Parts: sequence; C-alpha cells; structure tokens
Amino acid sequence: MPLPLYYFLSITAVNILLSWALYLPYRVGQLHFITVANMAISGYTAAWLVMSLNVPFAWALLAGFALGGIVGWLVSLFIGNAPTFAVVIVGFTFIFITRTVIENLKAVGGAMGIFGLPNIGGSPGAHRWTIMAILAGLLLLVGFLLHRFDHSRLGRAASAVFMDKELAASLGVDIRGLGRLLQTVSCTVAGGAGVLYGFIYKSFHLDFFTFALVGIAMTVIFVGGYATQWGTVVLAPILYGVPLLFPPSIQEWRIVIYGALLVLVLVLKPEGFITRRFVFSIESFLSGVRKKRNIL
Amino acid sequence: MKKALGVLIAAALLFSLVGCGQPAPKEWTIPFLNSLTGAIASIGEYLEWGAERAAKEINDAGGIKGKPVRVVGVDTALDPQKGSTEMARLVKDSLVALGPVPEPVIMAAMPIAVENGMPSITATTSLEYAQKFFPWTISWFPSTQERLAPLVAAWAKQFPDMKQVVQFVENYGPWPGMADAHVAGITGLGIKVLDKVEVPSDAVTFGPLVVKALNEKPDGIVFVCKPASAAKLIKELKSRGWKNMDHLLLFSSADAPDLYATGGKDLNGAEIYNYINPGLDSPRWNAFKQAYGDSHKGEQPPSLSTNYYDAVYMIKDAIEKTGVTGSPGKLKAERKMIADYMQNVKGFHGIMFDWDMKEGVPTNKPTYIFKIQDGQKVMVQEVK
Repeated sequence: MPLPLYYFLSITAVNILLSWALYLPYRVGQLHFITVANMAISGYTAAWLVMSLNVPFAWALLAGFALGGIVGWLVSLFIGNAPTFAVVIVGFTFIFITRTVIENLKAVGGAMGIFGLPNIGGSPGAHRWTIMAILAGLLLLVGFLLHRFDHSRLGRAASAVFMDKELAASLGVDIRGLGRLLQTVSCTVAGGAGVLYGFIYKSFHLDFFTFALVGIAMTVIFVGGYATQWGTVVLAPILYGVPLLFPPSIQEWRIVIYGALLVLVLVLKPEGFITRRFVFSIESFLSGVRKKRNIL
Repeated sequence: MKKALGVLIAAALLFSLVGCGQPAPKEWTIPFLNSLTGAIASIGEYLEWGAERAAKEINDAGGIKGKPVRVVGVDTALDPQKGSTEMARLVKDSLVALGPVPEPVIMAAMPIAVENGMPSITATTSLEYAQKFFPWTISWFPSTQERLAPLVAAWAKQFPDMKQVVQFVENYGPWPGMADAHVAGITGLGIKVLDKVEVPSDAVTFGPLVVKALNEKPDGIVFVCKPASAAKLIKELKSRGWKNMDHLLLFSSADAPDLYATGGKDLNGAEIYNYINPGLDSPRWNAFKQAYGDSHKGEQPPSLSTNYYDAVYMIKDAIEKTGVTGSPGKLKAERKMIADYMQNVKGFHGIMFDWDMKEGVPTNKPTYIFKIQDGQKVMVQEVK
C-alpha cells in the first residue's frame, strides 16, 4: 500500500471513530469532549504497557478500550443527564486535567512524550497492514452497532430526549441511564481510537490530543450531518483529504476555506449535508429495489 | 514456461536499467516541512525566509554543482495529521528534506523518514528529540545538560549576592529538561533553587504566578516559558517592585519578536541567553541582517532565523563533497551518503561561526549571554 494512502486512510478512520464517539452522546444532546482526553489516557497507558512492561499490543489495545470505558462510566455517574453546557465544561476541564497529569508523569515521557513505539507484527509493512485491518474491523463493528442503535427503541428514545427531555421522561425514557450508556460506549470507542492513533505515528505527544482534534470532530459532525452516522463517514475523508490536494498557494487559505464552509453549511443547511430525511429516502429507495427484485 | 520466465527476467532487468539511467533532475529541490499557518506561523515564516535566502545566495553563486537549488515550503499547519501525510509523500522521491517543525509534528512525521531512510534536518529542536531519529537527522544543539548548566552558571557567577533562584517553567516539549539543566548549573555554585512556578500554556493573568514566586523570596529568576508570557511576568514583577533587572534570565526560546513587542522598555536590563550573536560584524552576517530588515520592515533577524539558512548550506556541502548526483536510481545510496556526511561534518562554515559535528551532535558551538536594552541585545559574555 502506498505510504500516503496508508496515512490518509488510517488517520481518516481514527477521525471517523472519534467523530462517532462524539456523535453518540450528541444523540441525547450532549457534547462529550471528554472523548479527546480519553484518547490520550488510553493511548498513553497502552504505550506505557507496551514499552515498559512488554505487554503484547493486542492486550494493550484491549486495555485502552477498557480504560476508556471505565473512565467514561465513572464520569457518567455524575453527568449522565447533565445539560449540554455542563457536559461541555466537564469535557474541557477533563482535557486540561489529563494534560497536566501526563505532563508531570515521567513514566510516560512527561512533556516530551513517548518515542519509538514498536512495529506490530515485526516489520513496518506488517505494522501498517495490522493497523489498517484493526481500523477497518473497528469501523465496521462500530458502524454496524450505531446503525442498529439508530434503528432501535433506544435510538428512538435518544431522539425523543434530543427533542424534549421532559416529554421523553413522561414517555418513560430513563434519561440518566441512557446518557450513561451512551457516554460509556462513546468513551470506550475513543479509548481504542486513541491507542491506534499513537501507534499510527509510533509515538505519543500531548499535542496530538488538543482542542484542534475537538475542532476536527465537530466540523465533521456538524458539516457532515449530526442527525445520522453517515455524515461523518462522508465528510471525514473530504475534510482531511481535500486540503492535501490543494496547490501550495491555496494551502495557506485552508483555515479560511474551512471557516467559510462551516458558516455556509450552518446558514444554508443547519442539519448538515447528510440529513435523516436523506438517509431515509436512500433506505426507502434501496428497500424498494429489493422488494422489486423479490417480486421479479 | 522457460521462455516466459526469460521474458520476465529480461523485462525486470530492463526496468532496473531504466531506473539507473533516469537522468538527474535539472534542479535540486529541498522540501521544507514547516508550520506556515497556525499558531506558530510567524516563526515558520522566518525559518523559511532563512532557507530561501541561502538558496538565493547559492543560486547567485552558480548553484550546487552547476544546478539551481529550490526550497519548497510544505505547510504542516502545526498538525501531526498533516505532517505525517506530507512526509509520507516526500519520502517517495526526495533526496533530503528540512524540518519538520515543531516537536509534535517531528514526532509524528520523523518516524516515516527514518523508516524510509531519508535524511531530514530538524534544526529547531533539542538533542533529546533529534537523537531519537539518528542517523536520519542531526541535532542543531548539543546536549541540553552539557550546554545549559555552564551557561546559566556563568550568568549566576556575575552576582555574588544571589543566594536563591526561582524558575518560571512552562511544560512544553524540551523546556522542563532545560529548566532541570539550569538547576544543575545554579546549584553547582551553591545557590539554592526554590520550588519552580509552573506557567500554564494558556495563562491569561500572571499576577498570581508572580506573587507565588515572590513569596519564596528569590533574588534571581529564570524564565522558561513562551516569549509573551515571559514579558508579561516581567511586567508584573516590575509592578510589584522588582529592581535587580540583571538578576532576571530569559532562556533562548523566549528570544523572539513577541518578547520585545510585549515587554517593551520593561525588559531593559534583563539578561537572555542564545546561540547567535546579532552584534557579530562579518560581511555574510551583515548582508543577511540587511536582507532580513529589508523584507521585514527593518526588524532584526530572530534567533532561529539562521538555522535553516545554515542547514541549506550544509546540504550543499554534503552534495558537493560526497559526489551525490541526484539521480533517482541512486536515491537510497545517496540519501545515506548525505546523512553520513552530516553526522560527522568537520569545520562547517555557519553564518555565525564554524563548527564540527560528532555523530550527529555539534561539539563546539558557542552560546552567548546578552543584556536587553531598548529591544536590542548587548553582549555580556560568550560561553564555550
């Protein structure tokens, strides 16, 4: 696989996973930025396990998922049904706390970071294929689970909470329980994504996990479409890939182009490019074709 | 079957010969992975200016082996994601590169250069970062501990009355390591180093930090933080009655235009250390200063502006002295030749001074302590 393609695909996959991790709690109206902190916590922990304790990568990755989930669950005990603004503040605070703790932990390189993560599979080629295979599998698994969730009773309950919490509560939706579940799953996904993110670069630095990452995920979700999982899938590669094709003279205007794009979409298409109505119409079209084929 | 095998082998040989026979390019292209947009775009601009200035001088003098050299800026926007993808593109056919800048992008992108055996000069980071990627890069600076401990000791020796020193430290990349080296130098003189005061990267108000430091009753202060933060801390110190300005020492990374723009006359008398001496009087440096001022509204060249200027000249030397041809068919071997040359170059003529490299580390670069006066630096002493 050509190197630029590998980096493009693998980083896009991580961006999709992170965006999905944000998308999930946003289904009940919570912007859960703690996911970025979770990426760092799980990533650094996995790197430490591999580098210092010689733990095999597979176990370190699983530990990263588990740690992400545990941190997410613990925090969700307090903010399971907190309003959007409170969840945002907790997320930002958590990012600051995480940065400060890692900066002062000599065991994980402190402010300098962790260098020289080993190749999984023994060689650079095997490393790349392993990372790609894991990311592809994860995308399919998480994508499938999200799809099932969106079409389940829980998904409909989440939509009700998003529209009107009190109405949802009056219909018997356990708002706190649902919030906790979504936050925990979201943090689990983010934890695993964080481990893979560092292993793509074969190093960890705190500045891999900054508010810029929050910005990328937010743009992906809100321009792509926050009401379905598919907006993320469409926009993540575009947002990351298209600027790489810009000629150097336009590269410097990249941030301006992003900003203009975001403003235009928010004004002209507040739900983002891929709306729920659009997805339903595609699904109806596909099911219609299927039915037609069955009749024929 | 045998016939088909023969055809395949012949085709493979032909292709390999085609590779060997590919003509060398008509110009030397040196990509520069730099942060041209984003939070440190102003630094990226003058780093690139220095590299392009060197290329212009070289081209005016006939190029490298008769061919012009071109520095191509590749913007990584301080983004590891972009830095890694751009490096992945460059390693396919670039002979040598400059950058990346700064540390987060270095950490994301340099492993790709190492894996593919392409030399890339990271001339703005410390040895502690660069050495992780030897021999495919070189360090522009000697070991932080070896270099900074005697330097800060030389500063402290000026003031026999100084008994207690406190440091303001921002936790960024190599900076805590630099602060540790300062401690070694100061304590070696029997001066007590008080608890450091951490400067948050996003600090807005500096009063509480200064109060915390002053409560420890220091009579000397070292600043290891962003230029604007250092300037604001000094302003706060002065507003709280600090008088001994020369008992304040700013570290090298604070020596940037925003230090002087933010601090103004409040910095007068404070001391600062760095690796270049703007007061040097040589035709080459004077021409550099003049050209920089002409294109930057009369400003003085910042401390890092010469790093990539010298790096381009080092690449020129490497190409000329090792017989590198630039032929795509010899890419792998010629990359190695350049890397090996730079690791142990002797008597390199930098714009400020000559220096040697030993296994990727400079052995005899001087450092300087200056006193700040009205936005200018006046040399106090050279420390070797």
